[in-house]
Amino acid sequence: MIERFIHAVAVEDPGPEEPAQTRDRLRDLFPPGATRRMTQLGLVIGGVLHPLDPRETDAIVYASTHAETRALEAYLASFPNASPMLFQTSIHPSAVQQVLIAWERPVGQFFPLAGRLQIVAHAVQTALLASGSRSILCGGEERKPVLLGQGAGSAITFAFALALTPDPAGALGALALSGGGAPDGRLLLCDFFAAVRDRRPLRQAAAPGLELILSWT
Amino acid sequence: MAPPDSQPLRLRATGCRTALGDARATCAGLLLGRRALELLPVLGSEGGDPVPLAPLPGRNLMETAPPAWLSCLDELAAEIPPAPWGSARHPVFVTSSNFGVGSLYAVQRTGDPRHFATGMPFATVEFIGARLGWGTNVTVVSHACVSAHVGLLLAERGLRAGLADRALVFSFDFISPFVTGGFHALKILNGGMPAPFSARATGSIGLGDGAAFAVLELGQGGYRLSAQATHNEMHHFTGNRPDGAGFATCLAPVAAAAAGRRLWIKGHGTGTLEAGRLESVTLASVFPGAPLVSWKGSLGHTLGSCGLVELAVAIAALDSGRTPGTIAAEPPCFTDTVAIAPFANGGFDGVVLASNAFGGAHAACLLSHD
Amino acid sequence: MADALLVRLKQLIVDTLKLDDLRADQIPDDEPLIGSGLNLDSIDALELVVQLEREFGIKIRSSEETRAILSSVAHLAAYVRAHAPPEKLLPLP
Repeated sequence: MIERFIHAVAVEDPGPEEPAQTRDRLRDLFPPGATRRMTQLGLVIGGVLHPLDPRETDAIVYASTHAETRALEAYLASFPNASPMLFQTSIHPSAVQQVLIAWERPVGQFFPLAGRLQIVAHAVQTALLASGSRSILCGGEERKPVLLGQGAGSAITFAFALALTPDPAGALGALALSGGGAPDGRLLLCDFFAAVRDRRPLRQAAAPGLELILSWT
Repeated sequence: MAPPDSQPLRLRATGCRTALGDARATCAGLLLGRRALELLPVLGSEGGDPVPLAPLPGRNLMETAPPAWLSCLDELAAEIPPAPWGSARHPVFVTSSNFGVGSLYAVQRTGDPRHFATGMPFATVEFIGARLGWGTNVTVVSHACVSAHVGLLLAERGLRAGLADRALVFSFDFISPFVTGGFHALKILNGGMPAPFSARATGSIGLGDGAAFAVLELGQGGYRLSAQATHNEMHHFTGNRPDGAGFATCLAPVAAAAAGRRLWIKGHGTGTLEAGRLESVTLASVFPGAPLVSWKGSLGHTLGSCGLVELAVAIAALDSGRTPGTIAAEPPCFTDTVAIAPFANGGFDGVVLASNAFGGAHAACLLSHD
Repeated sequence: MADALLVRLKQLIVDTLKLDDLRADQIPDDEPLIGSGLNLDSIDALELVVQLEREFGIKIRSSEETRAILSSVAHLAAYVRAHAPPEKLLPLP
């Protein structure tokens, strides 16, 4: 089993809030003028990273199944005069980059993952195996009903971030992976977010050979 | 047996496909000075300015449903040593920058919903995995043009943690109007042919199709990845810190691992000016005297696949005894370490391979061999 | 009386880049657009170029040319006057 301990948790659960409202709510987390180009996903990722204070020595693991769906759609709509800003913004892992570039925070290890059914297991594995004393596991989606009908968007906007270290003292909880998961193990990002938000324990096969265990003290 | 964390990381097999063919054909073409890039309309059949592109032979930029590049992946996958890929002990790491985003462009242009089957990264990977008979232990890595390096690093960590017996890193990027339009809007995919590491008035890149794989395991012998490193400047989306510190920070651990070796370097070298200058000057400083090459002046930038495509070509070069030079580079170059002509590589015992990406992302590894 | 093209370009900058906290008349004629007090960067510059090309029918070829043309609003206006078709310079309705 590989395990790390949760020392900080942050969530963003803004419900049906539109991007302009998110921008108004979170603008003070960023330098003046920075939020004019930020997406809703970038803003909520910033909302969860801010209290965790990312450092250059951290390993940051970022998971998003759908990523920048609004920027993607807007970029496609800009053709034939393609928008360079929307092109840039639509490329994974834009959300975390929007935040850390606004804050000018370099990071040595940054692992952006996509995927769907096993994304949580692989993101957790990446965070648990990262070198260095602290990993930040973060993820999120932005709501985009238009693409949703084709399975290409999220029904809700959300974000989460967990700070993980090897030290159990004073921990809020623990995150572990053990072997023996069912061959069809799966865990969606939105379901993992709900467990983190609600401080619910989880124990389930999340990928072939990987059982995920989330516990709270 | 030595514990996993002290065993060498062996490259059991590698392979690639570019516009010039498989790894051996690509290397042979580069040694002859062939340039795969040609001036083609930026939006493919929809026209637009002529820009340097290197799609697979016969491939149209406008995506079909299913994508025409699937046959290329089928051919490439046939070279992968058989194993229960995607099972618990044989993880797959799929790395790309754009996955099937050309299919999303095609949906928007044609309204054909069949393109959604490969439009999003997860859908593309699930489609490919099912087609190639993989299990679902497939990690999807998406970090722009350092994606392949990140995949190699994650594969290594899984092996050293005892979570896998062998790991497959599978990388691809196929150009589409979505991508060519974007780089054209950034004014770096313009009418000029790329000249990596050359001190010109205007910088230009080319874009190309690419796909590659590597099978990794712990063990002795053959080609090995002796060090891997990453760094992310987070200074600006399309620019680097002007002092080059981001490049140097990434290269430092690789340089430490390479101490005492006689090296040549496969750089990123897309043809942009400022990044090319910073990269080549920093490499010359960290690895004095090491000849520097980039092959993007011929193959184009193969985006998320470039790290693994160029690793496969580097291995083909080592097998052939000759390293292709920096095709299309024009003196004066930013440093005198830029190797424009091919050279014999028999006297070297290591290769540093480096890639860079948007956001000031850097990745590098040391390829060593007996 | 203010140069009409300068006024139009300044408004285009504010609108294209969504500079909600800035009025067009607060943009100086002769200061650099990029890397100055306006906090605009190279991506803003390129986004501006797309709009300029569409509105004025001009063609800017490279990122290096972009930087040169956007060295100030006055410089940009001179470039547009020299390269745009005359009908594109007529006042907007």
